Amino acid sequence: MENVPKLSIVMLSSDLEKLHAGALMGSVAAMSGMTVNVFVTMNALEAFRKDVIEEQKFLSGTIGNELLSKKVPLFNEMLREGKDMGDLYLYGCAMAMDVMEWKQEDLIDEFDDIIGVTKFFGLAEGGQILTV
Amino acid sequence: MSMVSVDKSVDARGAYCPGPLMELIKTLKTSPVNTAVEVWSSDSGSAKDIPEWVKKVGHELLYVQEETGYWRIAVRKAK
Repeated sequence: MENVPKLSIVMLSSDLEKLHAGALMGSVAAMSGMTVNVFVTMNALEAFRKDVIEEQKFLSGTIGNELLSKKVPLFNEMLREGKDMGDLYLYGCAMAMDVMEWKQEDLIDEFDDIIGVTKFFGLAEGGQILTV
Repeated sequence: MSMVSVDKSVDARGAYCPGPLMELIKTLKTSPVNTAVEVWSSDSGSAKDIPEWVKKVGHELLYVQEETGYWRIAVRKAK
């Protein structure tokens, strides 16, 4: 197990393009045999709320608008596929959840847990970390 | 070069990267070892990405054939 390459992705931004890029890299890494931990914090967390996803209330620019109009599978679907077909875990940031008074059930069901930074560092230890 | 007979074909034309790769992986996952799967992709990134993934994961790349406006990429499940 220790030899499995590990990638951890910190998602900070609610920009649809950044969410898409992070989810794309995470899901492909998981399907390529890596263990992937995705830590969603700050404004990115809001984009993972069930109501936001349902209404597609995303911040988007040129490419994001095109992703939406072409109905490309979005970040939440890519992460779900990464979980279904690989070793991908999704974590919400406890601090942001507390500040916003959100509950885990407000977020999409793919979240494995709500954790703090210390726990995230433990999970990420020895692997690469990407921040988007 | 596509003299190999494939067991399954997946038409992923119209999907954007990494859609064709995901379709291929889903099909390989549910197929027995030695199955040859061909994926059709109109996305040029996937024509480069899929062989790279196959090499990394350790399956066998049978061929990458360019057709008019799309690629046919065949992979044999190795494990």
